[in-house]
Amino acid sequence: MAFSSFKTDVWVDWCPGCGDFGILSALQMAMAEYKKPASDYAIFSGIGCSGKIIHYVNSTGIHNLHGRSIPMAIGAKLANPRLEVIVAGGDGDMLGIGVGHFVSAGRRNVDLSVLLFDNGVYGLTKGQAAPTLPRGIKTKSLSEPNIDTNLNPIALALTAGYTFVARAYAYDIKFLKDLIVRAMKHRGSALLDILQACPTYNDINTKEFYGSRLYKLEEPDWDGVVRKPEEWNDKYSKAMQKALEWGDKIPIGLFYQNELVPSYEDRISQRLTAYAERPPALQSISTSDGTIMTDLSELLKSKRVL
Amino acid sequence: MQEVKDITIRLGAAAGDGIQSAGEILAKLLSRSGTYISTFNGNQSAIRGGHVWFHVHAGTHPVYSMGYGVDYLLPFTQLAYDEHYSLVNKGGIIIYDPSAVTARDLGADISQIKSPFLATALKYDKYPIMKNTVAVAEVAALIGLGFDVVEETITSQFAKKPEIAKKNVEAAKEGYGFGVQAGVRKALKYSDKRLPFLHANYTFSIGAVAAGCRFYAAYPMSPASPIVHWMTAHAKKLGITVFLGEDEISVINATIGAAHAGARAMCATSGGGFALMQEAVGEAAMTETPVVVVNVMRTGPSTGLPTKTSQGDLNMMLGISQDDFPRAIFAPRNAPDAYDIAVRSFDIAERYQMPVMVLLDFQIADGGYMTIDHDFEPVDINRGKLLNSDGTDKELHNGTWFRRYQLTPDNISPRPLPGTPNMMYVAKTDEHDEWGHDLSDVLAGLKESVLMREKMQEKRMKKMEQLKAEMKAPELVGQTRADLTVVSWGSSANPVREAMEVMNSSGLKINALEFSDIYPLNTQAIVPLLKSAERLMIVEANYTSQFGGLLRKEIGIDIKDALLKYNGEPIYPVEVERMVRNIMVKEVESHVH
Repeated sequence: MAFSSFKTDVWVDWCPGCGDFGILSALQMAMAEYKKPASDYAIFSGIGCSGKIIHYVNSTGIHNLHGRSIPMAIGAKLANPRLEVIVAGGDGDMLGIGVGHFVSAGRRNVDLSVLLFDNGVYGLTKGQAAPTLPRGIKTKSLSEPNIDTNLNPIALALTAGYTFVARAYAYDIKFLKDLIVRAMKHRGSALLDILQACPTYNDINTKEFYGSRLYKLEEPDWDGVVRKPEEWNDKYSKAMQKALEWGDKIPIGLFYQNELVPSYEDRISQRLTAYAERPPALQSISTSDGTIMTDLSELLKSKRVL
Repeated sequence: MQEVKDITIRLGAAAGDGIQSAGEILAKLLSRSGTYISTFNGNQSAIRGGHVWFHVHAGTHPVYSMGYGVDYLLPFTQLAYDEHYSLVNKGGIIIYDPSAVTARDLGADISQIKSPFLATALKYDKYPIMKNTVAVAEVAALIGLGFDVVEETITSQFAKKPEIAKKNVEAAKEGYGFGVQAGVRKALKYSDKRLPFLHANYTFSIGAVAAGCRFYAAYPMSPASPIVHWMTAHAKKLGITVFLGEDEISVINATIGAAHAGARAMCATSGGGFALMQEAVGEAAMTETPVVVVNVMRTGPSTGLPTKTSQGDLNMMLGISQDDFPRAIFAPRNAPDAYDIAVRSFDIAERYQMPVMVLLDFQIADGGYMTIDHDFEPVDINRGKLLNSDGTDKELHNGTWFRRYQLTPDNISPRPLPGTPNMMYVAKTDEHDEWGHDLSDVLAGLKESVLMREKMQEKRMKKMEQLKAEMKAPELVGQTRADLTVVSWGSSANPVREAMEVMNSSGLKINALEFSDIYPLNTQAIVPLLKSAERLMIVEANYTSQFGGLLRKEIGIDIKDALLKYNGEPIYPVEVERMVRNIMVKEVESHVH
């Protein structure tokens, strides 16, 4: 499908200059390049400006409660693993109210792509400090400098167990698109931290701020992909080290990827051999006339006395 | 020997002494001898130490609850003796080991038999655990069971460990001998018939899977945990995906996600976990996603008494989450009921595209076994307006989006599943139009949006009218005309029914209305039943009479006589009888004066 066929007729109501526009275009381009039919995608979004993206992409969208997209996406993916599941949400949504889900997802490694719209502020509620805003920073929306220390999404994702950890920049659309495609191709949980500006409320982390600082992790200088078990420790440590880099130079690109870790779907398949062909949503539970298909005699064996 | 219609046996010990297993063996002995049983697990939140007890009520006819008093008490510790001796009936028997328990003088009405449980057990094993076997075998002799059924039951209990089975059988032989020596006291009429027993957590799970539930999510919480254990144990054979979430919020959201993708999905928890799930239940109603959520109640508020029983969460289920939204609430009375309600819950959730909430409680769901005397019925499944085709009906499709929330005469919209070609739509937790698009942002407050919000809220809420008509009236148990009608819901129906049978056989005229379809109430069917009652009384396990409150609000009937128990212990039939007799005496007095 062409890039344009992933657009919709819904009016995009983000502020001019918002990084969300770049993410939207990159996502539509990535979906087109990935070549799955539009109906195979399911995008789960949270609350906040970023959450509106589901209306602007021609695919199935689920606009969730604040912070709860990850568990809902996991439920949908486990019920029907043939869906290409994408989670879209802000740093407030996923690292504030939803941080427990964000961290726990790493233990499971369900095959989904998490797009973190990272602008350091709660935009839709007028610019309160969000979890990635550094301590001591005073954006124009704050009356006092931020009192909390910031979370590092890359280091947190590595610690939590995400098997694809990358950072991109909302205004470098091609680079972002390529990483979204790689995240979708990745078998397991992928985190893509997308740096962006909030032109309305965050006058610190602007295009100018990032423009001079960002550099790309690229071969031959950098290769974060674990291909053999013996590379695991080394590449993980290096990625963690790289994750701490922030200041005059800020790296973007693929920090770490490890497909040697089995996905949650693989783990279920080890228990339920028919899972891949007949996951929960694709099992027939009744015949066309409504007759039950579950073998009750199996169930009755669980009666304690028989 | 006296042949009786029912007997009650209670075992008490410290946690970790294996008292629940001993109680379950006793329940098996009786069930394999053709009698009906009902049990209660007097559990604590401790893995070792403390005090736990297990109560078995067995009868030649169906029994529902604790029975009256205790006929046979087996206290393994002094604490167990001191806590329970006062419940022993006249003519009852206490069997104890003098090495652990010092008996009191209880007069001639109660026999106290000394038996060396511990010394006997230690003859066969270096650990004391087999004292349970010795004691259970002694009780078996005292109630007139043959040793063959004792041997068979113990052998099957330890089928995978023949060495241990052999030792236990030998120890049991000695214990049985003590009983024979003492002579058979009260006995039931036994037969070869075997009656299976289960508790409501298991029957609800069976019903759910029969109805097609293939996704189950949970976070560990007593007393709901037996469900996740059952689901995990049966996952492989039945193709169930079990998800253990990081908290109840993730659990219910994963359940909604799975249901949204097309699986029949369920999660279960207890009150505290349900409190965390509330926002998402509203989400299921708003996105019109069918889910079944079970709350196995325990005593609250807050952490409360985690292993004690209660019916205190009804108000929470009625009042959860923001604003008005449609929901169905059921409360199975006991294990057999839970199967039927599980099956109905999934159909109702899917046909009405709304959350269905089910209230079980500790009493019937965790160690509260009950005889299942009929086969579970195979069921028909109705998935409502679920679309499987990839039709692009112009009425339902605008070229890009599917009209997921179409306004229809019956207020239920067609539901395609994600992944169906050309059937994309947006599911919204925000208020939305027929296509699932936002009314909350740039359109909020505009005339058209205001009108659409009204229509959408009406569409969702009007589903309740249709549902109301198919909710069942309470079951009327006993004679049609009675001097007093006792209203109960969920598990409180069980002690009422037992008490009613006893009272009616002594000449009173009592009947009972047992509710298991809780909300919405089918007022048309219920009002005549309540209004035609001579006099009403209500029984429930909470402080404020929460179900009484619902009847008052929905029907305008105020039931003033209420037996309300909120101390965590089960409602006993004798408590129901006492209250009924008080009311009836007052009734007679008021006519005399």
